[in-house]
Amino acid sequence: MTDPTLTDAAATSAVESTRTDIRRLDPAAAAAHLRAAAEAGRGFLGLDPVTQNDVLLAAELTRMRAQVFRAGDKLLGSVPNPDQPRQAFVAATCADPEPLRILLGFLDTRQRCSSFVAMVPDGAPSAAAFESCGFRQVGVLRDHRYQAGAYQDVVVYHAESGFVASAHSEDPCSA
Amino acid sequence: MMLRGYRGGDARLLSGPWPAGELLGLPVNGRPALVEEAAVEPPRDAAVELCIAPGAAFVRFSELDWTARRARLEIGMQPEAVDAVAMLLKTAVAHGFHVLNLHRLYGWVTPAADPPLAVLGDAGFQREASVPSGNWLGGAAVERQIWGAVRRD
Repeated sequence: MTDPTLTDAAATSAVESTRTDIRRLDPAAAAAHLRAAAEAGRGFLGLDPVTQNDVLLAAELTRMRAQVFRAGDKLLGSVPNPDQPRQAFVAATCADPEPLRILLGFLDTRQRCSSFVAMVPDGAPSAAAFESCGFRQVGVLRDHRYQAGAYQDVVVYHAESGFVASAHSEDPCSA
Repeated sequence: MMLRGYRGGDARLLSGPWPAGELLGLPVNGRPALVEEAAVEPPRDAAVELCIAPGAAFVRFSELDWTARRARLEIGMQPEAVDAVAMLLKTAVAHGFHVLNLHRLYGWVTPAADPPLAVLGDAGFQREASVPSGNWLGGAAVERQIWGAVRRD
């Protein structure tokens, strides 16, 4: 017999996930939020809000055809791979995997992405979110960034949509 | 071999029968005739450094980051000039490091297109990442690699 406590817990988790407030941002708003994110925004989709001004950030997001979403004070983003329409580059500013799972589910079910790539500055907190979602490390880009007076590596992660842990099919654009 | 800036008369060098966005854009064996040729746009602003090896190839430095001093390198060789690919790649690396004063060059390589990987090693590149399903070639998603060269001086 199923433990009703477990069933209730699963249902509660699903409801909380559904209620996660994720909103799509236009490039100008995304640039402003990236700037507000400060250190957490550095390296987001290859951008750097410390060395790039808002106009340049918005122009780069537009050029890349980036989608940026906000979940509270956390930012999520994706950019299509121009050479492989079923793959997307994704980014996050936090270690919490739940908003990332929702983004991956959206990209999988609504935009038919079958694999995801993340390029994460070495030591960034968001690496924990990607690992929690089933991403595995597939390489390290040497001296790819420059920050705090030194060159830093960037870690490359990859996941197939079928291996993304507990990705929910939700639409972050419904708000 | 020398590189110079792009001129209007070089337009024919900007397209060819290679996979798009490759570090070493060389003609692919068995490529169906119906496949559209890969092409890059003429430069519109300073966001891209587009160079020409006259009559042979284009060399493009894109995704330029002047803080990290890095750029993505793309080369498109015309079929009649492929024998010069090793010399051109070394010329491109020297241009990136010593003319543009970059610290890092990187590019995407699709092994299924059978590029000469030894040429990359000879020019100072190392394979840094292997991304499954990173490119679409021959009707299927195929692995794509990131190769990088770092200036050490």
